[in-house]
Amino acid sequence: MASSRPDPPEAATPSARLDEILDDKLRIQELPDSDHEYEDLSPQEEAHMAYLESVRIPIVDSFKTTSSEVQDETLEAVLPFLEGNPNDFPLNEHGIPHLQKEKHIKFLKKALGDYPAPFAMMDASRPWLVYWGLQGLSALGYDISEYRERVIHTFSLAQYPAGGYGGNYGHFPHLAATYAAVLSIIMVSTPDSPATYDSINRKNLWHFLGQLKQPDGGFNMTTGGEEDIRGAYCALTVLSLLNLPLELPDDAPARKCGLTSFTDRLGEWIGRCQSFDGGISAAPGNEAHGAYAFCGLGALAILGPPKETLHKYFDMSRLIHWLSARQCAPEGGYNGRTNKLVDGCYSHWVGGCWALVEEHQSEGLWNRDALARYVLSAAQFSKGGLVDKPGKRPDAYHTCYNLAGLSAAQHRYIHDAEKAGKLGLDAPFHWTPNGTFAASTIWTPADEVARIHPVFVIPFSAASESRKYFADKGSL
Amino acid sequence: MAMAALAALLAGAFVLPYRLLLALAVLIRSSVLAYRMPASDDAIYYHDDPAWGDVKPLAQDDGGLHPLASIAYTDEYSEAMGYLRAVMAANEYSERVLALTEHIISMNPAHYTVWLYRAKALRETGADLAQEIAWLNPTALQHLKNYQIWHHRQTIVDALGSPAGEADFIATMLEQDSKNYHVWSYRQWLVQRFDLFASDDELRWTEAMIDDDVRNNSAWNHRWFLVVGGHGGRLESPRLVERELEYAKYAIRKAPQNQSPWNYIKGVVRAAGMPLSTVADFALEFADMRRPDDIYSSHALDLLADVYADGEGSQDEAKKALDLLASRFDPIRAQYWNYRKALLEVAGAAA
Repeated sequence: MASSRPDPPEAATPSARLDEILDDKLRIQELPDSDHEYEDLSPQEEAHMAYLESVRIPIVDSFKTTSSEVQDETLEAVLPFLEGNPNDFPLNEHGIPHLQKEKHIKFLKKALGDYPAPFAMMDASRPWLVYWGLQGLSALGYDISEYRERVIHTFSLAQYPAGGYGGNYGHFPHLAATYAAVLSIIMVSTPDSPATYDSINRKNLWHFLGQLKQPDGGFNMTTGGEEDIRGAYCALTVLSLLNLPLELPDDAPARKCGLTSFTDRLGEWIGRCQSFDGGISAAPGNEAHGAYAFCGLGALAILGPPKETLHKYFDMSRLIHWLSARQCAPEGGYNGRTNKLVDGCYSHWVGGCWALVEEHQSEGLWNRDALARYVLSAAQFSKGGLVDKPGKRPDAYHTCYNLAGLSAAQHRYIHDAEKAGKLGLDAPFHWTPNGTFAASTIWTPADEVARIHPVFVIPFSAASESRKYFADKGSL
Repeated sequence: MAMAALAALLAGAFVLPYRLLLALAVLIRSSVLAYRMPASDDAIYYHDDPAWGDVKPLAQDDGGLHPLASIAYTDEYSEAMGYLRAVMAANEYSERVLALTEHIISMNPAHYTVWLYRAKALRETGADLAQEIAWLNPTALQHLKNYQIWHHRQTIVDALGSPAGEADFIATMLEQDSKNYHVWSYRQWLVQRFDLFASDDELRWTEAMIDDDVRNNSAWNHRWFLVVGGHGGRLESPRLVERELEYAKYAIRKAPQNQSPWNYIKGVVRAAGMPLSTVADFALEFADMRRPDDIYSSHALDLLADVYADGEGSQDEAKKALDLLASRFDPIRAQYWNYRKALLEVAGAAA
């Protein structure tokens, strides 16, 4: 059997030191000691308190369970950040913390850098770290072109010889890694840097996707892996942005069951993921969940114009009811499931659903200001980066998706279904910005983040330029 | 440790493990990022192991530019991955490969490549699958939010052809985290795979979970899956319809502001093909608009708004319910309630 190496020389290894620090576990953001007396409240704090009172649900059940207890604890952690300004951030004219752009940029640049050994657990997720970092930076208006060469290099190592991307060199290809890799690559590509686009082996990628298509219409995440609605969204995203052929490769196993196209039975399969309460689940029969709702809506918005596809495969009135119920009161941020806790990442997963849904139905379905208030007041970490909720540490994931949610609150988009082109999966390229939500009482122009493509969650230009490049290029 | 943003992202376990994040923050602050961690006492190496003498590890070559988000792996992890790449390139499936994958999983349980290769090695070597489950149990408990472990377990239990022991194990997992998305999804797979829809035990267990926390929406979803979802979304037996209505009503009476059973009761009525007005009198117990100071559930108001919207000549009542929601009982969703009001007007104009 394998042998053990002798003990390392130092008595206190960095890992032991790390444990020592980590074990002091509630190293959470500490509130200032001073207990504000009511008479000490500033007019702004009074206004915040009055606002919170005005959006509170006045009915509270006395019957306690684990769920209600953790909800009470959460509210206790969040409220001080909505009432006052414990981080001492500079405030905007509405008395709300400014978006700390410089701090967040600094945080995300570090997130794209090196990680110490305990992060081996992130090995398979490295493409995500890159995507979150790049998307977060571009949402903050930072020019990410300086990363171009390193992005190509990073993903040339993670590209699997037979097609698709894994977490690193020698990993099997995986649809989630492939999604994050492709988005990262096209974000740093421009028409005058074809080498970046061409670093993607599209033909092999197409074959890899063919291996994942299932007879029931859905997609597996990897060969021999699980089938869920992320697969549908990630596969359609890649097929559409890279202008891949919609016909299944000859070696696709689903052909044996009579399927010929990547889109066969797909809308029906996605429709089966709508659960009895109106939300969308990972796979038929599972519990409704905010992130899967975005995947389901995003997938249908790629499959065709949302005005047609959403209504065709989902019961939209029940879905809207469910999405609306995800907004927590008085927190203003979203939770992911019924009776769960507010979490900044759902600012995007649920907040990002509205642009797609409102295009189907009508405008003004949700409380943009309440979400923006949560992101700016409660989700910004004092030293940069954004968090799940106060008391948690920031990470690239929550930073990227809090910012995407803030963008969703700030911008409007419309979809022009009339412009549909002849090529397949063309619908998502007919979104256009339709101005900024002007009536906000929460943010000022200095707190705005960039527009984000509502389906692909990357800059608009990255989506259209990629599609154009590969459409012009034609064959695989 | 919970992990796999890869899988985790876009999915149940969105939250990166707390300790890791803390580690990141601490390390960034103290700029010790360049550290390569020395091996711990019980590190395992292969280069001087005769049993591995015939294998030439495939080292990772990051050549050229420095990759983004690169990890300073321990020597132990780097070496083990080098041997894994070598055996994968040679399509080797053997006892020592099983030991190697176990070793790597202990260092990185979110490594889907290793799990998939291990599953194949178990098949190819005809390994004892019961023993695999016995090894998986403590591993899963250590890594509650891991995707790969559950998919692996599903593969093994599928091959074993029996759900024996799984219910007990799941109960242990849910004691740690009663709403774990992977565990509940796995339970649904078990029910489907072994046709447990009509199992009394399964229903009783689900009731116990709801009894434990009537706000556990995962448990409500599972009940729906057993009673309705497994039967094509239809609920035809009047006896079952009655039972489910009574069950949801009982739960609502415990905590009327809990949305889970309200969603459930609406689903039951719909699946039974009955009008929503079937439960109007029940909802009135909690939200009689004649006495707006005695309203005990915004969800009852919401339901009544739908009942009134469908009823003849009760549009004004529907508006009144929606106004109460927008102005007083659920104001954060005022836009949504106003949108519902606008729909009433459209319907009214069309009529």
